[in-house]
Amino acid sequence: MAANRVSAVVLKLIKELKNKGSLCGETHVQKTMYFLQEIEGVNSGFDFMIYKHGPYSFDLRDTLASLRANGIIVLVPQRYPFGPSVALTETGEALLREYSVQLEADVPKIEHIARVLGEKEVVDLERLGTALYVSKTNGIGSDFESLANEITRLKPHISRERAMDALKQVNEVNPVP
Amino acid sequence: MRKFRHEVKDPIHAFVQFDDDERKIINSRPFQRLRFIHQLSLSFLVYPGATHRRFEHSLGVMELAGRVFDVITNPRKISDEVRSLLSPFVDLNDPNHLEQWRKTLRIAALCHDLGHLPFSHAGEDKLLPVGWDHERMTRKIIEEGEIADILKSNKIPAIKPELVAKLAIGPKKANDLEFNDWETLLSEIIVGDAFGVDRMDYLLRDSHHSGLVHGKFDHYRLVDTLRICTPPAESETGDKSKEPSLGVEQGGLLTSEALLLSRYFMYSQVYFHPVTKIYDLHLADFMVDNMKGQKFSVDAFEFVKTTDNEVMANIFVAAGDKLIPGHKHAKRIIERDHLRVLYERYPRDIRINKDAVQIVYKAAVEKYSEQLVRYFLMPAKGAPADFLVYQNDDRVDRALNMSQVIAHIPTPEKEVVYVDSSIRNDATEWLEKERNRLIGK
Repeated sequence: MAANRVSAVVLKLIKELKNKGSLCGETHVQKTMYFLQEIEGVNSGFDFMIYKHGPYSFDLRDTLASLRANGIIVLVPQRYPFGPSVALTETGEALLREYSVQLEADVPKIEHIARVLGEKEVVDLERLGTALYVSKTNGIGSDFESLANEITRLKPHISRERAMDALKQVNEVNPVP
Repeated sequence: MRKFRHEVKDPIHAFVQFDDDERKIINSRPFQRLRFIHQLSLSFLVYPGATHRRFEHSLGVMELAGRVFDVITNPRKISDEVRSLLSPFVDLNDPNHLEQWRKTLRIAALCHDLGHLPFSHAGEDKLLPVGWDHERMTRKIIEEGEIADILKSNKIPAIKPELVAKLAIGPKKANDLEFNDWETLLSEIIVGDAFGVDRMDYLLRDSHHSGLVHGKFDHYRLVDTLRICTPPAESETGDKSKEPSLGVEQGGLLTSEALLLSRYFMYSQVYFHPVTKIYDLHLADFMVDNMKGQKFSVDAFEFVKTTDNEVMANIFVAAGDKLIPGHKHAKRIIERDHLRVLYERYPRDIRINKDAVQIVYKAAVEKYSEQLVRYFLMPAKGAPADFLVYQNDDRVDRALNMSQVIAHIPTPEKEVVYVDSSIRNDATEWLEKERNRLIGK
């Protein structure tokens, strides 16, 4: 496989999420990577669109597939009702060590996002991710009312109240100083 | 008496049925062209039976899409929660409304492969302008070509080309469009990772024609057990995501395992077969040289004028004439003088050195020359098979939590170093001697 810095960023994110107590399923990785890109400016080159549970990147999905195919990550089944968790293998840990210098500048940013979002559940990440996506695509300065309308239009199962709450939370997520 | 329903015999589905409207699409030039586009490119040079075309595959996808639609919209399978969640987009109680969606879905399924170049995937990245692929071309043909004309000219009432295109190519390739939950479900029926009927049909059909029996699975059972599910709550409060997706009833879990195993076997033995892959590369090289660097037109009417037939005729002529651009590649195909496998990814080597294949490639280039050595990566793609399973006690869980088989099916990825046949023996001996030094012990 073509191991690269982007794969290492994904691995580091998975590791930090787990350190912060995240269940770290694929949805957790998808949404937190979106925050890492949009809030912290860590450029992974993944294109995100509104799809499964909010912002979703098919490129990231394929990167995770390739990492699995190469025995760098594994999916670990969980007890009901939780979805499977993504975990680094020994090979994954070794790869991460190999890229430690190249990742140096990104580590505080990854740790910050993991700290802020690590304990969130899928349902929270769906709302927060969608709120960030809507804020970015409609302009950060747009008023919460219209942004909340947009969230409920895109994801009708998210209530307006929850959409407003998600926008407020997202507004408070700042890049690492 | 005039018939309003039509049917054709099919080796996979027994019969494929279609109505007058669907027949208008089938009889169009873009669709008839698919009779002359091989489903598996030049794989017939390895599996002689694999000469089937995208035409019958597309009919099969339409047939399966209709069957899946009927199953998942069966009132007995729709929970109140799902009915309510989808109510902003579709009235699941209205048979006329559903029939309109069913027809849109079937036409989208029928059209999903219209934008394939001659010999399908081979050379797609080299022969279309930058930013184009077969999905984008499919969309253009549906929205602007003869198909659009048929749909728009009220020959097929109230089915919008844009919606057909959207469902046909799905969110991955139509990422400039928004998909609501219902449209997401419908596109999942066609191009979904877990239960997409495109995949179901190509696995069954490619298996049938190539003669690889382990590509088969019980698709009747699988289709009958599909169901729209919502994920279980993942918190103490019962708070949960309510996004519906295509899942399977517990009774279909074994068949789902069989589908995923079939996929693994077919990728390992057909789609990532190193010889079929190298023929694809020779074919792409031929087309690039033979077209003197020009690209295929992306005009919806112009594009559909070329098929495998014209390309194959050019290959035969070029193979016998040194002066024709692409001669050496054509000769490789006609005389079966393809590049040979020197080394491919070997799990034990990868554990020792994750870059083993690239290291061998670079060393081989240094030893021989870039002209005689080639590296090719067939990357893993797709989501893990983590679909929802509706259990007999009405609980919903994830397949990866329930199935040891699904949790352990490897994700196919292949990496190969090829060499010219003239140096094959020498290169094999060289690698045998150098292997430990290059890769490690």
